[in-house]
Amino acid sequence: MRRTALRSIAATSAVLVLTAGLEAARRPHYGGELRVEIRAAVPSLDPAVVPDDPAAFGAQRQWMPFVFETLVRLDDHGRAQPWLATSWTHDPARKVWIFQARKNVKLHGGSIWSTPGGAIMVPDDRPIEQILRELAGTRSAVVVKAEDGSLLGTGPFRVARWEAGKSATLAAHDQYWGGRPFLDSISIQMGRSLADQASDFQIGKVDAVEIAARDLRASKQRGTTIASTQPTETVALQFDGGRVPAPVRLALSLSIDRTAILNVLLQKQGEISGALLPRWLTGYSFLFPGERDLAKAKQLVSAPQSLTFGYDRQDAVIRPIAERIAVNANEAGITLRQGTGTADVRLVRLPVTASDASLALQDLTTLLRVASPPSANWYEVEKALINSSGVIPLFHLPRGWMLSSRVKNWPRFEEVWLDAGAAQ
Amino acid sequence: MTFRTKLLFISSFTVAGAVALVTGAVSISTRRAFDTIDRERRQALLVQFRDELAARSLEVARRVELAASSPGVQQIAAGAAEYDRAQTEAATADLDFLDVVEPNLTIISSAHWPARFGYQNDWLIASNDWHTSDVFLARIPTPEGSAMALTAVRPVAGGKMLIAGGRRLSPELLKSLGVAPGMRALLWLPPGEVIDAEGSVRDAQKLAPLVQEVRSTNGEVTGSVQWTSDRRSSEAFLALPIIRAGSLAGVLLAGTSLSTQLGLERSILRTGVVVGASGIVIGVLLGWWTTERITRPVERLAAGARAVAGGDLSARVEVLSRDEIGDLARAFNRMTEQLLEQRERAIQAERVAAWRELARRLAHELKNPLFPLQITIENLQRARESSEFDEVFRESTATLLAELGNLKTIIGRFSDFAKMPAPQFETVDVNEIVRGVMKLNDARFHADNRFKVEPIMELAGTDTRIQADSDQMRRALGNLVLNALDAMPDGGKLMVRTSPHEGGVRLEVSDTGQGLTDEECQRLFTPYYTTKQHGTGLGLAIVQSVVSDHRGTISVSSATGRGTTFTIDLPLTQADSIVVTGEPA
Repeated sequence: MRRTALRSIAATSAVLVLTAGLEAARRPHYGGELRVEIRAAVPSLDPAVVPDDPAAFGAQRQWMPFVFETLVRLDDHGRAQPWLATSWTHDPARKVWIFQARKNVKLHGGSIWSTPGGAIMVPDDRPIEQILRELAGTRSAVVVKAEDGSLLGTGPFRVARWEAGKSATLAAHDQYWGGRPFLDSISIQMGRSLADQASDFQIGKVDAVEIAARDLRASKQRGTTIASTQPTETVALQFDGGRVPAPVRLALSLSIDRTAILNVLLQKQGEISGALLPRWLTGYSFLFPGERDLAKAKQLVSAPQSLTFGYDRQDAVIRPIAERIAVNANEAGITLRQGTGTADVRLVRLPVTASDASLALQDLTTLLRVASPPSANWYEVEKALINSSGVIPLFHLPRGWMLSSRVKNWPRFEEVWLDAGAAQ
Repeated sequence: MTFRTKLLFISSFTVAGAVALVTGAVSISTRRAFDTIDRERRQALLVQFRDELAARSLEVARRVELAASSPGVQQIAAGAAEYDRAQTEAATADLDFLDVVEPNLTIISSAHWPARFGYQNDWLIASNDWHTSDVFLARIPTPEGSAMALTAVRPVAGGKMLIAGGRRLSPELLKSLGVAPGMRALLWLPPGEVIDAEGSVRDAQKLAPLVQEVRSTNGEVTGSVQWTSDRRSSEAFLALPIIRAGSLAGVLLAGTSLSTQLGLERSILRTGVVVGASGIVIGVLLGWWTTERITRPVERLAAGARAVAGGDLSARVEVLSRDEIGDLARAFNRMTEQLLEQRERAIQAERVAAWRELARRLAHELKNPLFPLQITIENLQRARESSEFDEVFRESTATLLAELGNLKTIIGRFSDFAKMPAPQFETVDVNEIVRGVMKLNDARFHADNRFKVEPIMELAGTDTRIQADSDQMRRALGNLVLNALDAMPDGGKLMVRTSPHEGGVRLEVSDTGQGLTDEECQRLFTPYYTTKQHGTGLGLAIVQSVVSDHRGTISVSSATGRGTTFTIDLPLTQADSIVVTGEPA
């Protein structure tokens, strides 16, 4: 009996020790370098630099908040939350809004971020909701220029090394006001094709790589850790100026069999839309039709048309869609041929850079380099933006990442930690 | 053209013609030999291509069969694979084209054009071959255009699906034939694509006439194509139709570059030209040497003949050979010797005849005055005893003196002819001389005892001044006028005409008398020859002497019953003469 009891105690102790060890391994801990590869070639994280390439633009907007922070941030519901500003009130005269700066915020160089009087004044010339959205935008990020010319932010990571368009290292900001991130650093390899990324991932060379939407389901079925977002990318046709007549543009749009592309090429990942912003962001995207009408397309094309068609042949997402569009267009009497130089029409991926429609539209306006429509109505703004930019949206696609098993708490990098015990 | 030149031309053309003939013959035989060899090589290439095509057809059938049974294609057929899975299966089966289609030919997955899923397979619809042929030729559309391929169709999943796969008819197929240097195999594929071992052929439209001929004859056709303006780019072709399901699926062309042949022909031609040119040069030199040997004796003979013609009967030709030319030279020399002998004899005879004539004339002329002298002297002898002696003496002495005067006149004429003075040249006007002589004889034209002679002058309107001795010219013209008057005892017309002639002046004196016979014409200028009863025969001899001294010529033309015309041609100037300057008379 006694022997049995001792045996039971010993077994229980062993199980407890093992369990404690496993629990300790699953708990977040500091250290390690997260190795990431992306397709985009980002020239700079400076908010003042606007990359021409939509992919680079999207990546810049994705990585920038971890280096340069804003006074406020919008939560998933679009509500402004304090960030570098802890509160905001009117002045007594109700002329300006006074944003109180967070105290003891240290810049990447180690100095304290300070503002005159510990506050930031913003004229009260428009609704506070609009002011807050503007302040949450990347263009309002706090960027301090150091004596050596480098740009200093207040984010959880600082730029330790930046080779424009090729690679970068973001090191942990030890004195981050929100607490030091778990990761020591993030290594980013830029300009890597999806195939190269997949290859590097397979051999354990990287921890996180991008994955095409169409491969999300298959990869998940193979047991790979997948992280995907809401549709945050718009696949669209972008016409060059007014070279292509409006009826031909419309005919091309009507000739595209979006359903077949979504079902077969995209493996039902994403959504069909004629809107720039996805449904989850605005709720009105159904107002922009995207159905195929080949008969009408043929009617619009009175004579055979030949357009130069540009797209990134290295982009595994874009290329099959472009090829299918060419086949569809041919049915309507429009020949799309790849040409050199400026194409009549290009198939592009436009990033949805914010979880707020107004900020996302603002970035699209910047990216497409068109004047910002004056209306405050998102639908009107988007409609005007489509008309002025010569863009025909086709699909909204989610973003997906393949993650190694040691990556935890993706995608908030300040909370990501690496499980050293997990198999790579 | 001289005989020597002719000989040179003949010898040169003979050499050049012979070389041209040989060159042409060699070129033709070379071309024929090349044609024969090329035809055989092209035939062999066609056979090789047929074999290769058959082998590749079997290979395509095997690979499509392999793909049809692959798990990947089965998955596609079961709808358990991605839309572009056919690409993987095509790569595995080493097929350039692969479509998995439903029985109604709707594409499920396409290897070569993944974006065409859901569309119908055009090339299977377009071709009926796949129902009847195991492997067939089809033009398969691709994003980059279209391509011809050897294709086969096999059922998948018990016929629920079909798999259509193929391999491109690529330049590699033609390269694998391993054609001989200078040859190449080309494949014409509808609608007009032409490939060879290097890829697409530029200027393929130049083969269109050949292909059209193949299409119309449905059999083998030969022809040639010149690809550029350079003839060496020419290529000879043997074209063979590839018939599938009763229609022309392609044309195989076995080509042979004609550059080697043309190069050889050109080389032959060049050699021919060089040899011909050399032959011409050698022919010219040889001809020169030969003709020199042949023509030199001939030229000497000609020179000798010219000398003889010029009156030099002593001319002789050197005999250099014993051939016909030598015989000719000897004959020429004999002829000139004989001519010389004959002339000597003729001169002797002429001299004897002249002396006889002179003697006859002298006798005749002297006999007439001598008879009155004899009678007169006999009358004086008889009258010596009579009382009338003094009167007879006076009359007889007067007669004697008159007859002696006649004798003196006769002797003076002969003496004048014997010692004709050298002409004293001065500038004289022939027209003026004519006018003077005609005026001097004006009385004779209207003499009462004869019929009237009508004088006619046709004098040149141009300058008729020449260098001449005016006295001698008047004397000569006077003699001709007197002769003309004597020739017209019954009256007639006397015409004196002057005219410019070959840089000199022509003087013509015509009468309308009885005219002269040919013999009389030939002997007319012989001294002491006369056709008149009382002439001395010296008048025309004097005229000829004067004309000759003035380096002129005189000729006579006459016809019996139609008068006589004397023509004198005088030069304007007298070389090496002393000219008396002054105004013409």
